Amino acid sequence: MRWLIRRVLRKGKGSVSYEEDIHYGEVLTIGRASDQAIFLPDLRAALRHASVTPTGSGQYRVESLIIAGIRVDGQITYATTVGAGATIEIGTTRITLLEARQDYDAAVEVAPLDRSEQAAASARRAKPTSLSQTWLAKRWPSWIGFLAVLVFGLLLPMASHVAAPLDKVLRAAPLPSLASWSSGELDAAHHFFGQDCRSCHENAFLMVRDTACTRCHAGTPAHADPARFNVPELGDARCATCHKDHNGTRGMIDRDQRLCADCHADLSVRTQKASSLPDIRDFGRDHPQFHVNLPAWGNDGTFTPKVTPWNATLKENSGLKFDHAVHLKADGLNTPKGRKTLTCASCHTPEPGGAAMKPIAFETMCRECHALGFDTLAPDRQVPHANVGAVVYTLDEFYARRALEGGYEDARAPTIVRERRRPGSPPLSRQEQVEALAWARDRAREAARTLFTGKACVTCHSIAPPSGPEGDWRIAPVRVAGAWYTGAGFTHARHTTMACADCHAGAERSKASNDLLIPGIENCRQCHAGGEAPDGKLASTCIACHRYHQSDMLTLDRRR
Amino acid sequence: MHASFLTHARSRYLWIALALCVASITAYVWHDPGIAPNGGTWLGYTLGTIGALLIVWLMLFGVRKRSYASTLGSTLGWLSAHVYLGTALILIALLHSGFQFGWNLHTLALVLMLAVIFSGFFGVYAYLRYPTLMTRNRDSATRDAMLEEVAEIDQNALALADGIAPEIHAVVLRSIQNTRLGGGVWTQLRARDGSDLAIAKVRQAIAERATQSGGAGKPLQAGQTLVAMVDFLAGQTDDRQTEALRKLIDMLSRKRALATRVARDIQYQAVMEIWLYVHVPLSFSLLAALLGHIVVVFFYW
Repeated sequence: MRWLIRRVLRKGKGSVSYEEDIHYGEVLTIGRASDQAIFLPDLRAALRHASVTPTGSGQYRVESLIIAGIRVDGQITYATTVGAGATIEIGTTRITLLEARQDYDAAVEVAPLDRSEQAAASARRAKPTSLSQTWLAKRWPSWIGFLAVLVFGLLLPMASHVAAPLDKVLRAAPLPSLASWSSGELDAAHHFFGQDCRSCHENAFLMVRDTACTRCHAGTPAHADPARFNVPELGDARCATCHKDHNGTRGMIDRDQRLCADCHADLSVRTQKASSLPDIRDFGRDHPQFHVNLPAWGNDGTFTPKVTPWNATLKENSGLKFDHAVHLKADGLNTPKGRKTLTCASCHTPEPGGAAMKPIAFETMCRECHALGFDTLAPDRQVPHANVGAVVYTLDEFYARRALEGGYEDARAPTIVRERRRPGSPPLSRQEQVEALAWARDRAREAARTLFTGKACVTCHSIAPPSGPEGDWRIAPVRVAGAWYTGAGFTHARHTTMACADCHAGAERSKASNDLLIPGIENCRQCHAGGEAPDGKLASTCIACHRYHQSDMLTLDRRR
Repeated sequence: MHASFLTHARSRYLWIALALCVASITAYVWHDPGIAPNGGTWLGYTLGTIGALLIVWLMLFGVRKRSYASTLGSTLGWLSAHVYLGTALILIALLHSGFQFGWNLHTLALVLMLAVIFSGFFGVYAYLRYPTLMTRNRDSATRDAMLEEVAEIDQNALALADGIAPEIHAVVLRSIQNTRLGGGVWTQLRARDGSDLAIAKVRQAIAERATQSGGAGKPLQAGQTLVAMVDFLAGQTDDRQTEALRKLIDMLSRKRALATRVARDIQYQAVMEIWLYVHVPLSFSLLAALLGHIVVVFFYW
């Protein structure tokens, strides 16, 4: 096999000459030993460093003969098959495998590396020795981070504020949407529309306007008329001054005492005496006595409860005669169903909402003992309650029937009434009927008088006799105002852990129904302090009992 | 001894930062907004403004550091202030947030800020610890000088090995090829110079060759070191060669010690720099998040 070995000789600056040599042999040996086909006088070459064997079809097999391996095309290897053009580097020599040409079977070029090539080669092989030479960088990650946060955190959501369909896309994709702008959870009541930020945030860079609130809260009562009460806090207040959303599911209602006390501490001065409300700073320290809604009637008989400052000697007039002491006797009462001990809850049961108590109902609470019977011969018969006309009508009908049927065993009754009618006996004559019905009318009137003035109605009610022969019996109206405290939102429901007597003290000793069993402020102050509760009491700001939106003349959107 | 950036100007910025923290905490405790504390109260806006200005100013340190001609305070002073006021920023930002967190842009800004600051803490640690170690490791040489010495030893070792046996020459050649100082990020940080790997490969190659040549010569036992291998070969040579081998071993040991020192030097430098590759890019993400946070707050006022 004929090898062409072409040696590149460098002479001075840039001048190059070639020297060609022929080698006979199957294998081209490379090394520092003198018997090598390519002799390299370089300490970095082993005596027998490597061998090159043509494999035909223009390929060469390069094998390292030492454990250090050989660098072919820049890579250390022990044995490899390469095509023409591959380079082998040993020390400062580069051997390039060439295509066989003319009458040679194989060809190589041996060239020394000049100084700049050596430097380039070692620089190529040198590994980074500082982080700045590695893939690590600061500039492009900074740009990427900056732009990514800006685009995905700010610009895309901002664009979706303008173009609503984009918002849908962002929410569907796992990309930050306008939701990522939310500074906190919305109030629970606002969750159902909270996905659409624009329902409140209508205009970019403008505060949420009240009209956004009144779109739903149109009918909500306002506080007071800013035109009448010239207080900046009232006129300039936005909904969001107090109601700051994105503060949690129960974060909308500001219970801070200052919201009220800032104005109400000296309200008459602030409103130039337009307001007649007393100054209030704190429930615990500076709050006037309660006012109670006492039942009263106008001259025309209409119910016009009177708001009256509470005091310990105050009496109420509900129109009812009732002795709590008798009914609440500890050893019980005799009733048709045996001995029974009544408690407050026997009559006073809470309304469904739990705030107030249901009205007292005669039918379910009183009739069991206080039966409205009127005739000892018919002890099961009773008159209806409350309707005077119906009472009289019932009595008239009852005795008319007794008179016409006969058989009414009363010694005072005429014979025709006492006489039992037998089947087949002739009907009453006209004369007899007139006589029987006259008795019946008299008997009914007597029974009515007995009921009203004697044993039934008068027990609990104030009764006035009929003004004339055709007039009705008159019963004084009975009722309470429903809510005793009009200005505050007291609810029994939140006081169920208390005993009734804790607040309604003395009920079990009250002998007269005009005893006012509704407590004053000192009773509440036993447990409730004001805005701050340093002495272990319950801190209660104004909002605990009062409402801000309480006007009965104004709603948030217009006058009523 | 020169003043560290922590004690610069009698720790002036430490006291300024502490005063800022105490003032912020006092205001936060005293302030009672009526609702849960948040960034929307007047104190929230105040703390937010202070925090935002601090972030911008802290980032300007990167500019000041490069302005060699600047006379606006010394770079050491700036670094001292950068560290202390950056630390105070944690408190100011947390108080600004009212400790309300969520999956939103605002908390992203906070998290990025904390990541930047805590990566900075690592930088403080590295700057306090590694310069001393680096000086001790270099032992008044420079890295270039050590590298030159390594190259010199390589040349001498090759010459010496050539005088002993071709196998030894090959082993030394291989060792030179495999001594790679530096490398990727992980290699630099772990201070691996590749010489252990080289020895393992050399051993493996020799064992393979011994097997291939049909058991000519004793196969090397697993666990033998380069030194043991040289000793094994030395058993078959005369006294002059043994002496040369001893010399070679000394030379290679010295080279290895040098290589280890260079690798350690690279490691110290890498550790002192690596945190900046987190600190700086994250600070720019933070700047974007801060920008977003401020714009969003007023966009949806």
